Amino acid sequence: MLKVYFGDMEDSIYNTSVRFDNNYEDSWINSAIAKEIIKDIDNSEVLSANCIKSEVLGQISPTMLSGGTKTLLLIINEPTEIFNASTCGDNCAKWILKISENKDVIINLRHIMDFGRENFTLEVLNNNKIVHSMKELLPYASEYLR
Amino acid sequence: MKGSYRIRIRSKRVSYDFTLYRNITIIQGDSATGKSTLVRLIDNYYNEGSSSGVKLECQKTCRVLGGKDWEHNLEAIKDSIVFLDEGNKFIKSDDFAEAIKNSDNYYVIITREDLSSLPYSVNEIYGIKINGKTLENEPVYNEMYRIYGSYTASRPIEPVMVITEDSNSGFYFFEHVCKQSGIKCISAEGKSKVVKHIKAETTDRILLIADGAAFGPHMREVMQYLKIYTNYMIYLPESFEWLILKSGIFRSKVITDILDNPSDYIESSEYFSWERFFTALLVKETADNKKISVYTKTGKLSNYYTNPENTNKILNELKNIKLL
Repeated sequence: MLKVYFGDMEDSIYNTSVRFDNNYEDSWINSAIAKEIIKDIDNSEVLSANCIKSEVLGQISPTMLSGGTKTLLLIINEPTEIFNASTCGDNCAKWILKISENKDVIINLRHIMDFGRENFTLEVLNNNKIVHSMKELLPYASEYLR
Repeated sequence: MKGSYRIRIRSKRVSYDFTLYRNITIIQGDSATGKSTLVRLIDNYYNEGSSSGVKLECQKTCRVLGGKDWEHNLEAIKDSIVFLDEGNKFIKSDDFAEAIKNSDNYYVIITREDLSSLPYSVNEIYGIKINGKTLENEPVYNEMYRIYGSYTASRPIEPVMVITEDSNSGFYFFEHVCKQSGIKCISAEGKSKVVKHIKAETTDRILLIADGAAFGPHMREVMQYLKIYTNYMIYLPESFEWLILKSGIFRSKVITDILDNPSDYIESSEYFSWERFFTALLVKETADNKKISVYTKTGKLSNYYTNPENTNKILNELKNIKLL
């Protein structure tokens, strides 16, 4: 299940882009889910672990992937760490939910991410409440982001 | 710094063309739209000039600020446009707000966080989108779009309740107007309390009025609520003082010229937000006018603004919103 801590969090990794650039491994890029994410978010195709074909930028290294994609790959591959997922746009929300479908995932949010109109399940770690929709989530997000 | 500045920047692969109008511009939106690429190009050009392969056209120096020594580095930056990429935790700090408060730079900040210490406008929150590629060998052209805008009503609306973010003169004016037409009017008593009222009020057709010039930090939260609480309409003039000036109650060429192009008159080192500038302008205008008392934002609103003629002039600026 997805667990979200809203607001400042001492232990979370804030600059996810720097973390990714210095810590990613070839296997992260070659995984099936990474290829799907890179296609969906960055509109790019993984050619190899070191080369990604971007529609806009040409052939790029993984360090030139978007901040959102880098954060998603960190969440998948470094499960013991907590990452600042406010580096992810709303187009990453469905992936965060998908990644946490079969395992517990903790993220730190410093803004109100739009998880969409459909129902979802996540735990707000600030108060341990479970919510199933944006309507249920918003009051807690507002409270803890002040 | 004052004025508006067009920035055109391009590499072989990608180009951007946009204009900055105020001291603080926020860029946010979906991932992979080219925000960090923009900052990288700005940084490459600043450090390597045209030998970087980046072409940049702007009347002001554009550069990037970030890292642990930001405070020290910022002290040396004058009369420039300063870009900050996401990943800089300090942008939310009071220290950063204080450092840029009386600065003569403009700032472009990439973040999805609500920076409540900074008074940025709802009009200066942008996303980036691709606007096409003209020729095969040409770079992909990116442009910025306003995420929110002013929310002027596009069709006539007749609210049955009005909530003003303002608790001072703006509230007094709208309360006076609403009393005449039997519309309930309450003050949220501040930007941060608007959401509390949105959740509490269930009446149909509620009009929320807030000062757009400094409401930027609250906009994402409010708009998320308004996706759920669909009984709300929102109107975001720059500020109540701007409404008065815009209404034509005080006819002067100086005011008209300023309102036509505020960027050219509002010095960033003097006014942190346009809201403060318009208040100062109205105070000055009324101080020079022997017919009425000097305008005060916090005191009781003079009857001069609520007489029928001037009330109508102000309400005429609320296009398509019927309160009387």
